[in-house]
Amino acid sequence: MTYLELMPAFLALALVPVALLAGTPREAPRRRWAAMGLALAVLIVLTVIFDSLMIAAGFFSYGDGSLTGITLWLAPVEDLAYVLAAVVLLPVLWWALGHRGHVSRCLRTWLATSRPISWVNTAYPFATAYWLLTHSVDAILIVGSLFFLIPYNLMMYGINDVFDYESDLRNPRKGGVEGALADRSEHRGILAAAVLLPLPFVLFLWAAGSPASGIVLAVSLFAVLAYSVKGLRFKEIPFLDSATSATHFVSPMVFAFAVAGAQWTATLTAVTAAFFLWGMASQAFGAVQDIRADRAGGLASIGTVLGARRTVLASAILYVVAGLSLLPAQWPVPVAALFVLPYLANLVPFLTIRDDDCERANTGWKRFLWINYLVGFAVTMLMIRSLLPA
Amino acid sequence: MSFAYLAALLVSLAGMIVWDVRERLFFARDAVRAAVVLAAGVAFFLLWDIAGILTGIFLHAPSRFATGWMLGPHMPVEEPVFLIFLCYLTMNLVLFLERVLRGGLRAGRRGSGDDPAGEGRR
Repeated sequence: MTYLELMPAFLALALVPVALLAGTPREAPRRRWAAMGLALAVLIVLTVIFDSLMIAAGFFSYGDGSLTGITLWLAPVEDLAYVLAAVVLLPVLWWALGHRGHVSRCLRTWLATSRPISWVNTAYPFATAYWLLTHSVDAILIVGSLFFLIPYNLMMYGINDVFDYESDLRNPRKGGVEGALADRSEHRGILAAAVLLPLPFVLFLWAAGSPASGIVLAVSLFAVLAYSVKGLRFKEIPFLDSATSATHFVSPMVFAFAVAGAQWTATLTAVTAAFFLWGMASQAFGAVQDIRADRAGGLASIGTVLGARRTVLASAILYVVAGLSLLPAQWPVPVAALFVLPYLANLVPFLTIRDDDCERANTGWKRFLWINYLVGFAVTMLMIRSLLPA
Repeated sequence: MSFAYLAALLVSLAGMIVWDVRERLFFARDAVRAAVVLAAGVAFFLLWDIAGILTGIFLHAPSRFATGWMLGPHMPVEEPVFLIFLCYLTMNLVLFLERVLRGGLRAGRRGSGDDPAGEGRR
C-alpha cells in the first residue's frame, strides 16, 4: 500500500464529524469556510518549512516506493494531507460540540438506526470467513469487521428508514428493536452519517483489496442503496426484494472470500448458495407480517403478490433448498444442513395463516431473530470442531 | 541523544497555551469541549501514524536532535507531543481567524475585563 492509497481513507475519516453538523443552525458558514481556508494556507506554509527541516535533520523517512515523489522543498506533497485533515476534523467537531446535547443526541439516533441487534449478522460472516481462509489478524480483518459491524448497518438501515418514512408511519411495528422510526427533522443527519461513516472504511478496503474484491464491494454497496433509495426501490419489486436482501447478508462473506484471495471451490459455492437461499427465505417470511400494511400503503412485496400462506410456503421451500445445497460441500459442512430445521419449525404455526391476520407472523419473526443467535452459535461450534485435528 | 526537538516542541506548545489564554480561544473558552476535540484529534492522527507504520510507509530514523526514546516501533516519544501541538495550533488558528473575520478582536475580549494583559494591546 502506498501513502496515496492510505490517504483517502483518513481524509474521509476526518470528514465524518460533518454529519454532526446536519440539523444544527447554520452559523455564518462563509466566515467559517474562510477561517478554515486561511488556517489551511498558514498550516501548509508551516508544514513545508518544518517538514523539510525535520527531513533534512533525518528525523524520519518514508518506505521505498510509498511516495509519489512530488515534493515541496523536501516535504513530500502527501504530508499536506495531515493539515488538510486537521483543518476539517477539529473545527467541525468543535462547532458541533457547541450545541449542547446535540452530539450525544446524534450518536443515540445513529446507534438506534444501525439496529445493534443485527450488527453481528453482517460482521460475523465476514470475520469468520476471512479468518478461516487466512488465519491472520491483520488490518483488513479489523477494518472489515468494524465496517460490517456498524457503518454498513447504519448505511443499510439509515437509507432504508429515511426513504421508508411514509410507509413506516402507518406501521406500528417500527420503532422498537425491529426498526427505528426516524423523525423527519433527523433525516438529513441520518443520511449524512449513512454516507460519511462508511466512506473511510470503504476507501480503505477498496485500496487494500484486489480488483475482484473491489467488484464484490461495489455490488454489496449497490444492493444496500438499491433496496430502498428513491427511483430504485428494489424492496417494492416482488422477488427482487428477497434477492437484494439476501445479497445484504451474503456479500460480506463473499467479500471476505475475494479479499482473502480464496480459490473458488465447490464448498465455497455451496456455502454461498445456502446462505443466499436462507437470506431469501428469511426476507420472504419477514414480509408476511407487513402484507396488510404494505397493501394499505400501496407497496408491493413478495408477500403482497403471493399472499400470506403461499409466501410462508415459498419461504419453507427456500429453507429446504438451502439445506440441500450444502450437501455437496466438504465434510463437515453438510452437517450444517440440519440447521435449517429450527427455521422450518418456526414456520409451521403459520402454514395456515390468512392475509387478514398476517400480523400474527410477527411472533415468528421475533423468534427468528433469536434462532439466528442459536444457529450462529451452532455454526461456530461446527467450525471450531472442523479446525480441531480429527 | 538530545532534547533539542522535544524542547522545541514543548516551547511551541507553551506558546499555544499563552495565545489561547490571552485571546480566550480554545481551552480558555470551554475547557471540556476543547479537551474532547484535542483528544479526538490526537487519537485520529495516532491511528493514521500507526496505519502508516504498519504498512511500512512511515519510518523513524535515529537523530542527533531527538531523545531516541521510543513508544513503539517507529513511534518516538516526540510524536504525540507534536500531534498535540499540531491540533492545538490548528484550533487556535481557526478560532482566531474566525474572530478576526467577524471583526471582533475587540468584541471577543469584551467579556474578559479580568485580563489586564489584553487591554490596550489593540
